[in-house]
Amino acid sequence: MEQLAIHQYLVDYFTAGGCQILECRPGFLKVKLTVALDKLLMNRPFYWHYIEKIGREPETQVLALKTVQTEEEGDFIHFGSPRLHQIFASTKNLARYVRLYEERPANGKTQTPLYPWLGMNVKVSFQCDLKKDFLFSLGLNLFNGTILNHFQEKLESLPLTPKIPDYCYTLTPMIKPQSGLRRLEAVIEQVIAQEDFHWAEEARERLQNDLDLLERFYEDLDPETYGAAYEKEKQSLIDLYEPKIQTHIINGGLFYLTEHAMHNF
Amino acid sequence: MMRPKISFDDTWYPDFAERMENDGPWGDFQLYKLAYRAEKELLLPDFSDLAAPRHLPHLELFPHQIETAKTVIEKMHGKAILADEVGLGKTIEAGLIMKEYMIRGLAKKILILVPASLVLQWAKELNEKFYIPAVPQRKAYVWEQCDVVISSIDTAKRSPHAEIVLKQDYDLVIIDEAHKLKNHKTKNYQFARQIKKKFCLLLTATPIQNRLDELYYLVTLLKPGYLGDPESFFRDYRSGKNKVKNEESLRRLVNKVMVRNRRVDTGLKWPKRIVEFFEIPLSKEERTLYDSLNTLRKTEFVQGFSLLTLQREACSSREALYMTIKKMLDEQASERTRLHEIMAPILANIQNATRHSKAEKALEIIQALNGEKVIIFTEYRATQLYLQWFLKQHGISSVPFRGGFKRSKKDWMRTLFEKNAQVFIATEAGGEGINLQFCHHVINYDLPWNPMRLEQRIGRIHRLGQKEDVHIYNFATKGTVEEHILKLLYEKIDLFENVIGELDDILTRLEIVSLDKEIEDIFASSESEGEMRIKMDNLTSVINAELAARKEGEADGTTCDSSVFG
Repeated sequence: MEQLAIHQYLVDYFTAGGCQILECRPGFLKVKLTVALDKLLMNRPFYWHYIEKIGREPETQVLALKTVQTEEEGDFIHFGSPRLHQIFASTKNLARYVRLYEERPANGKTQTPLYPWLGMNVKVSFQCDLKKDFLFSLGLNLFNGTILNHFQEKLESLPLTPKIPDYCYTLTPMIKPQSGLRRLEAVIEQVIAQEDFHWAEEARERLQNDLDLLERFYEDLDPETYGAAYEKEKQSLIDLYEPKIQTHIINGGLFYLTEHAMHNF
Repeated sequence: MMRPKISFDDTWYPDFAERMENDGPWGDFQLYKLAYRAEKELLLPDFSDLAAPRHLPHLELFPHQIETAKTVIEKMHGKAILADEVGLGKTIEAGLIMKEYMIRGLAKKILILVPASLVLQWAKELNEKFYIPAVPQRKAYVWEQCDVVISSIDTAKRSPHAEIVLKQDYDLVIIDEAHKLKNHKTKNYQFARQIKKKFCLLLTATPIQNRLDELYYLVTLLKPGYLGDPESFFRDYRSGKNKVKNEESLRRLVNKVMVRNRRVDTGLKWPKRIVEFFEIPLSKEERTLYDSLNTLRKTEFVQGFSLLTLQREACSSREALYMTIKKMLDEQASERTRLHEIMAPILANIQNATRHSKAEKALEIIQALNGEKVIIFTEYRATQLYLQWFLKQHGISSVPFRGGFKRSKKDWMRTLFEKNAQVFIATEAGGEGINLQFCHHVINYDLPWNPMRLEQRIGRIHRLGQKEDVHIYNFATKGTVEEHILKLLYEKIDLFENVIGELDDILTRLEIVSLDKEIEDIFASSESEGEMRIKMDNLTSVINAELAARKEGEADGTTCDSSVFG
């Protein structure tokens, strides 16, 4: 992530978070935090506890962030800075669930139907003593079962609003969201099955090798004395090498979209 | 081919269902997009390659350090002995590996065991260079509640800590100065062996390869069973008392768990040290002052080491001497004590000694450098102040520096020196922290008693990243204690030609805990000049013997150091 992109990210973040932007120029940003973001980012639980106890109007903090070194004021933010990672992590807490409606210019007085979609962004990790990730963004039409990949990119090209627009109505899902989720998981499983699993085989070989060495090492030692140590070390080896695949749902939600939008996908 | 089972995230749906039920609350779509964007940025699309350098734009990483981290992670699966030659940045390598595992989510709970004196330095480096929130262990709850904890092994192995530590499930354990665990019968070794860990890095500054049993027990700490049981290992690889046999096969084995970068192989240009000694004659007045201190020898006030202290101060500057005498007099009950009487002629001599021969020499050197930057180290604050004033009289700008400055002030002083001043006058090597590699001239205005201190001073600038040869100017006043130190110590140990840290290493080996103390004792307890000379000779010859042994080991291709692990 280039410094320029980081600056833009910060501007988008604090704007979306409803903060007042006090100063903003290339390389520098100064914002007045909202109560929610102050609590989330500034780590001052005692202050909030105190203020809430005495019932006083809180004073939120001002945060100055710079993305070029030449600015004097502010924390320098780059791709590795803890502040940026804190912000990254907070986006997941703030928006793990959404419900949105597509907004189209009203077509006379005719009612427009909106189709329900379950959208989901999922990270899949292959893990042994090494790790590798995949990102999936999937959408499932809960009315007719259509499944789309790269759903997020498509959503971002649509005008979306949190309130149902005038002259629109939503169609009732034929598929329940929970079974929709199962369907999407099945899709992920299918796609993953195409991958190469040599990595897992190799990890198992490593595990077996190290387990053999360990066993030989303890072979002649008294199990009364050394049994527990052997078990502990064996478990550590399994924890280290045993290959696994995990999914993590970054965020997801319900999207009500026009038929028009679906045709353009 | 068996595909590992997929475990699906089941934490998302319950909250989602609840929100559908309650008609919210729903998140903002902008933030939703930003969360996806963040995840995309943080994605690790490959098993191999390091993600960490992208997170560490400020850190200058050298190719051998990156290569080492890759080897340890990809080929050694996170269990390795890091045994680089001193000065190549083992702690940077360890930090880099740690960071990589943290970014990949493979290590969260981490324990770092280091000598007590290095705990804070490790904490600082990890926090500042790697943005790793490592916490020095001070309270018992830290073991359980903090993810990255630094402690000395001596603390960790004691009750009640040991019980808590052994209950933890560590993803990564790092042990610095691991060669200190060489004896497998010690409590330290046994304790280290019991800690539950996935990944493990052992850092050692000494070439352990000469010592088969050290090698065996360190590798066993890392991978029990890898070198077999002790009996068969020593049967297969030890010949006679302490020689190695079957070297080729041992080398193959050990190279899979140990990385040892050598300076010559890194391809880095390692700057030379060019050392000059200056024996500076005292001016007539300075001589008188110095000699007059001898009158104190027979008094009840100043004995042994205290006289030596005054003499050393006199070698530095009359200001330094004056400060100490003034303090002694201030502590007296009245202004007409016997001590006042004794000191009166000395104080008069201080008045008279207006010339500073050393300062003049320093000026001469600085002026000849045509504006190139110089660091002056002195042991005394009074000398530091005087020098600042003196240089200013000659139109030379300088900044003072002390170990006790706050971090922000240190950084500020460093910047001032880099941008605005020619000379940096420091009273403290400041052991850690500030980077002065843009400078390559050092004047040791007075010689410390402990050569390690000198080594630390030079180490501030003679290190990875220094592009020029480093010039070192050592001052000693002629016919004084300084000349003694110079002749008895510095000229006998081939100190300055040796590489950073080597001496530290040797002193550890010889179990000389504090060379300072050793030398002070020699000076204070020797009845005669001759006795002092003999004792100092003994000390230096022991150190030199170890140095020579090491040199031989490096030059001679047949020893196990280079043949087994070259």
